[in-house]
Amino acid sequence: MSVSMPSIAAPASAKFSWLRRMGWLERIGLAGVIAITLLAIFGPQLAPFDPMLRVADAYLPPGLPHLFGTDEIGRDLFSRVLLGIRYTWLPGLAVIGIALVIGSAVGVFAGMMGGWVDALFQRIVELFLVLPSTLIAISVVAALGPGLLNTMIAITIFWWPWYARMTRDEVRRIRSRPHVEAARISGVSKTRLMLRYLLPGTVPALLVAATLDVANIILTLSLMSFLGLGLPAPAPELGAMTARSIDSLTVYWWLPILPAVVIFVMSVCANLAGDGVRSALRGA
Amino acid sequence: MLSIRGLHVRLSRDGRANTVLDGVDLDLAPGEVVALVGESGSGKSTIGLALQGLLPAESQPEISGSIRLSKHEIVGAKAGELRQVRRDLIRSVPQDPMGALNPTMSIGRQMAETGLSPAEVLDWLGRVGLPDPRRIAADMPHRLSGGQRQRVLIAMSMAAKPRVLVADEPTTALDVTVQAQILTLLTDLAREQGTAILFITHDLAVAAELSNRVMVLFGGRVAELGETRAVVKAPAHPYAAGLLSARFDLSSDRGRQLSTLSTERGRTRIEGPHCNYVARCPISTPECSQRRPDLALREDGRRAACFNSDKVPDLLSSARAAPAWPEAIGGNANALELFRIHKSFAGRRKGLFGAKARTRVLSGVDLRIGLGECVALVGESGSGKSTLLRIAAGLVEQDEGDVSWFGGIPPQVVFQDAVAALTPWLTVGEQIGDRLRPLNVSKAEQQRRVAEALELVGIDPALSGALPAELSGGQCQRVTVARAVVVPPKLLLCDEPISAMDVSLAAQTLNLLGTLRRQMGMGMLFVTHDLAAARLIADRIAVLEKGQLVEIGEPDQIISDPQAPYTRTLVSAVPRLVTEEASA
Repeated sequence: MSVSMPSIAAPASAKFSWLRRMGWLERIGLAGVIAITLLAIFGPQLAPFDPMLRVADAYLPPGLPHLFGTDEIGRDLFSRVLLGIRYTWLPGLAVIGIALVIGSAVGVFAGMMGGWVDALFQRIVELFLVLPSTLIAISVVAALGPGLLNTMIAITIFWWPWYARMTRDEVRRIRSRPHVEAARISGVSKTRLMLRYLLPGTVPALLVAATLDVANIILTLSLMSFLGLGLPAPAPELGAMTARSIDSLTVYWWLPILPAVVIFVMSVCANLAGDGVRSALRGA
Repeated sequence: MLSIRGLHVRLSRDGRANTVLDGVDLDLAPGEVVALVGESGSGKSTIGLALQGLLPAESQPEISGSIRLSKHEIVGAKAGELRQVRRDLIRSVPQDPMGALNPTMSIGRQMAETGLSPAEVLDWLGRVGLPDPRRIAADMPHRLSGGQRQRVLIAMSMAAKPRVLVADEPTTALDVTVQAQILTLLTDLAREQGTAILFITHDLAVAAELSNRVMVLFGGRVAELGETRAVVKAPAHPYAAGLLSARFDLSSDRGRQLSTLSTERGRTRIEGPHCNYVARCPISTPECSQRRPDLALREDGRRAACFNSDKVPDLLSSARAAPAWPEAIGGNANALELFRIHKSFAGRRKGLFGAKARTRVLSGVDLRIGLGECVALVGESGSGKSTLLRIAAGLVEQDEGDVSWFGGIPPQVVFQDAVAALTPWLTVGEQIGDRLRPLNVSKAEQQRRVAEALELVGIDPALSGALPAELSGGQCQRVTVARAVVVPPKLLLCDEPISAMDVSLAAQTLNLLGTLRRQMGMGMLFVTHDLAAARLIADRIAVLEKGQLVEIGEPDQIISDPQAPYTRTLVSAVPRLVTEEASA
């Protein structure tokens, strides 16, 4: 009687449907991002040597037991890079998070109010967007004094307007859709409309943008530390490590190259994961 | 010539594969018109796409079975072979003619690209009934009307002399007044050239008018297949019977509700060893949920997939006795008063610094709707009927004139696309409950009233925790109605609420709205382009043409003696079920 193909939908498959929408590279990127986050949190515990102390001869090439070799005063480069991941990755996530909160709050408010409030906020946002961000960030840090927190503040100042504009545009788009119109007719209050009917609709677009931005932030943070605007000297920041040893590129290549490679791997993983988030949210 | 055998298609959505077609067999003879009838989601469009090898790649189609056309096997064919088949053997007429034309190229050039000589282009434009082919050929697509564009596409398809033409709801995007002409044109050309047409529609009356055979699809399986006349006269599957009994036209009884056979008990489950209509079937037996009925050949040459098809005739006769409408409560007060409404929209700027031209949409519309009364507003697209509804709802500001509501209470709106009118990330209960928030009722009271409203519209209150995506389209429409009436409004505005529905759902929605407005004494404005629906639901019909009310009055009076020329074309364009009259 039943000539049909065996086609029983497994209900459990729905749980990970978001994962199924991702391609292989994107899944690898996502796994990489998770691994990097774990390393950023537990890196110092995993480090085989004390990253701040001389543990061997200077300028040992990569090998055993010093996987990445040693630096100019004999510190273990692998351990320093592990710690460096923490100083780049976690501030990067923090900057994104803070910029998202500020940006979406401003964006939802402007998009919801419309009229002159919207116009005013738009102009302010544009003001931030037209300034050469990295240059200004550098001068902000120069004014506040170098340091990780100041660098983060400087970057956040130039990051939130992007999210504000994106949230605002999304809100304007969703606002004209029938379900929001229906909610307005139903007599839903303004605050509730904003928080329950509009804001959740902006999440997918913001999430995609934010994950794709992680790579950008890491590069900017590394650039700032490369320019000497991050943590003061002995701290193992990846950008700063590359900068300090750039002169010895031809002789002791591992000193500038390996931290740079780690920066590269982190941003590639972040980008792939960002693409993955976009695929996962598509059609959801 | 075309032979489909055991066609199974699975398509993925959100990473989940769903069976869309589950064992479909069909043969098509040259010159034959077969109608594929079913509601949205029945898989009727998927058959059309599978025939052309055009199943969307992003839904990762898994296809098995066989589709043979002439010497070609389409299932599993290489891209090159499929292209050849699409060029020479199978063509299609789309739903949206504008989307199928290149907006940057003149009609003549586009047609020439398909390999026609300039003389043939003009000849074909004439054959599809376009006046002044020379002018049309030189025109860009946006300068033509929807009906003209569809004629151009029909000319482009038929000029290739295909063996099979797939017409997927070719008239839904067109005004009712031109629908009939397009359909006649299609069938005439098919007969002339011996092209077989696969006509995809959700309207059994349209199918009955022009097809030789009809295939009724439900949930990816064939429910019934046979001669159109025979199926329409005495359906053998309860779904086909439901479609038929719920059909209404200009001669349906206005005094009572429409008969509906199906009862929706949750989402249709397509996969599994059971009849997939069981969740809606009024005559289901325990066997139906355990075994899957085969598409059995009956002695009259028809096929139906039902264990109890001998009970279907009784079902039909019992359906004729639908309950009468409840007594309307109301009063003499007006629920809505529109006084000399004018509205125009800014159009294109004349020159670089010139003033913007203004397009008049409404000029001086007066309309009054009493409590408990329903006025249907009919008119073609662009007549301003949606704008009038939005002004009445307070969503759009009028330029001149006054809008007043009974007691100043703002009206509620039932939208055309119910799924889009529900917020996807909020539960049904939350969205209905939001209307109670301004009343400051307790949480328990709110839940009780939401449950009450859901019950009123015929939905299990247990579904109040469901998200809209977990409901069927019909259930979503009921939810929007529940939201509108959980706090009874004095005026309910309905914006083409049934135009996207199949007949059985449309009938249920009409019954629901007609009952509620009488019981609650609501005034109702029902915007539609379907004159038959307008006649059934409304106490008065108002005809809007180019922003002016050209006629208003009792439905039967308007229909039997239309005054305005536009009303006359509207009346003549309503499809009627031909065979039913012959058998009655």
